Amino acid sequence: MEENSLDKRIVYVDDIPASFAFTVNEGESVHLNLASFKDFRDRTIDIDVLSNGSLEGAFADFSRGNGRFVLNIHLRGEGAKCRWSLASLNNGSSEKHFDTSVFHEAPHTEALMSNYGIARDNGKLFFAGVSEIRHGSRKTKTRQESKIIVFDPEALGRASPVLRIGDNDVEASHAAVVGRLNSAHLFYLESRGISEEEAKRLITLGYLRPIESFFVDEKIVERIEQAIEGGI
Amino acid sequence: MSQLVIKNLEVTVKDQQILRGVNLTINEGETLALLGPNGHGKSTLLAAIMGNPAYKVTGGTLELDGHDLLKMTPDLRSKAGLFLAMQYPSEIPGLNSADFLKSAMNAHRTKALSLFEFYNALQNAYKDMGIPFEMSKRNLNEGFSGGEKKRNEMLQMRLLQPKIALLDEIDSGLDVDAMQIVAEAINKEQKRGAGFLIISHYARLYNMVHPTKAAVLINGRIAVEGGPEIITRIDTEGYEWIKDELGIEIEKEEGGPMNTVSIGACATKERLDNGRK
Repeated sequence: MEENSLDKRIVYVDDIPASFAFTVNEGESVHLNLASFKDFRDRTIDIDVLSNGSLEGAFADFSRGNGRFVLNIHLRGEGAKCRWSLASLNNGSSEKHFDTSVFHEAPHTEALMSNYGIARDNGKLFFAGVSEIRHGSRKTKTRQESKIIVFDPEALGRASPVLRIGDNDVEASHAAVVGRLNSAHLFYLESRGISEEEAKRLITLGYLRPIESFFVDEKIVERIEQAIEGGI
Repeated sequence: MSQLVIKNLEVTVKDQQILRGVNLTINEGETLALLGPNGHGKSTLLAAIMGNPAYKVTGGTLELDGHDLLKMTPDLRSKAGLFLAMQYPSEIPGLNSADFLKSAMNAHRTKALSLFEFYNALQNAYKDMGIPFEMSKRNLNEGFSGGEKKRNEMLQMRLLQPKIALLDEIDSGLDVDAMQIVAEAINKEQKRGAGFLIISHYARLYNMVHPTKAAVLINGRIAVEGGPEIITRIDTEGYEWIKDELGIEIEKEEGGPMNTVSIGACATKERLDNGRK
C-alpha cells in the first residue's frame, strides 16, 4: 500500500487498549501499527472500512502471557480494502490466540490477512479467524495466510482458517502451514558452510523481519529488530 | 592435491535403496561427467556426498583428502571444500541474499571479511555472472526465474571457491547466453584447479567444459567409466548399447520416489534439436 502524507496512522506500543473501534472513512487510508514487547492480554479491535477506504494493519508481537487477540474488520463500502500482517514470537509458556476476521459486506472489496508465528519452548500459538464474503459482495477478493513454525517438541501451533463464501463471482483462497523448520531450507544454508544454529537463526529472522516494513517510526523498528535478535 | 574418494557407497531414500555400491574418485583439476538414465541415482549421489539428511548412507566410505566426510555435517563438508549446486535451489522467504552470502563467506574464513572486501567481492561476482547487483537485495532465490537461480548457484560457487564442486543439472532451464556464462564460471574454477562432478542431460554444456572423464550410473552402480568419448556415444546412441555390450539390464523404477522417464530421452531430444538448426 502506498504511503501518502495524508494517510492517518494509529500507533500503539505496549499500551494497546483492551478494546477499541474506529472507522476508515470513504476514500481514506489508515495505517494501524501495533507493537507489543511486554505482556500479552485480551484485546478486541473492531474496524469498519467504508467505500474506497483502505486499512493497513500490522502487529509486531514479542510479548509474553496468555490471552486472546480479536480483530474484526468489516469492509462495508464498495471498493474497501484491507491488509493485515502479524508477526508473533512465542517464547516461554505463553498461550496466545489470534482471531483475525474480515467480513466482506460490499462488492469489489479486497482483503489479505497474513499471520506469521513462531512457537518455542512450551508456548502455544493459535491462529483462527474467518474470511466471510456476504451475499451481494461480488467481484470480491480475499486471501488468508497462516504460518507457524514450531521450534521445540513441547511447543504447539495450530492454524484453523475459515472461508465462508456467500456469493459467486469472487476469488477466495487460504494457505495454512504449521510445522518445523523446513529441512530443505536448512540443508541449503548448511551446504554453504553455515552452521545449523546460524541457519535456523537466519531462517527465523527472515520469517519475522518483514513486519518491520509496515512501521515508519525508526525507534519502533529498532525495538522490533532487537526483540527479534534477542528472542531467537 | 585434493581428492574425493567414494567407495562402495550405499544410500537409501525413504527406506528405498537407491545407490548399491558406488565407486568413484575425483581429483583436483579433473572434471567428471556423470551420466545415466533418470531415476538411477545421479542426484542421490550428489546429495549424499554433500550430506543431505534425507539421504541415508547405509554402507561404504566417503573421503575428501583423507577426511571422513560421513562424520561431518553439511556445513563442515562445505568448509572442507565441497560445493553442491542444486537442481532445485530453495527459495528462502525473508532472507536477504547479501546477508546470506556474507554468512556463507565468513563461515569459510577464520577472520570475518571487512564490509569493503565483502562488497567488492560481491560486486565482481554479480558482474561476472551477469546478474544485476540489485538482486543482492532480494530474498534468497525468492521469485527468481529458473535461469536466475542457476546463475545464483554459480555465483555462490565463485564466492566460496570449493576444491570439488558437484553440479546437479546446472544447465537445465538456461538460455544460450546464460549457458555461456555458467560454462565460463566453471572454466574459471577449473583453471583455479577445482575438481568437478557434473550431471547434465545435454552435450552442449559438456562441450563447453571439456570433462576429463565420464561415468555412467545405472541401477545404483557405476556401469561404465572412461574418457569423454562416452559422452558422445550416449548423446548419439542413448543407453541401449550398455545393455547390449555389457549385459546390464536397465531397471525401470515403478512407483518409487523417482521419476520413470524412459532412458536416453533427453539426450535423444537434444540431438534432434541440434539437427534442426
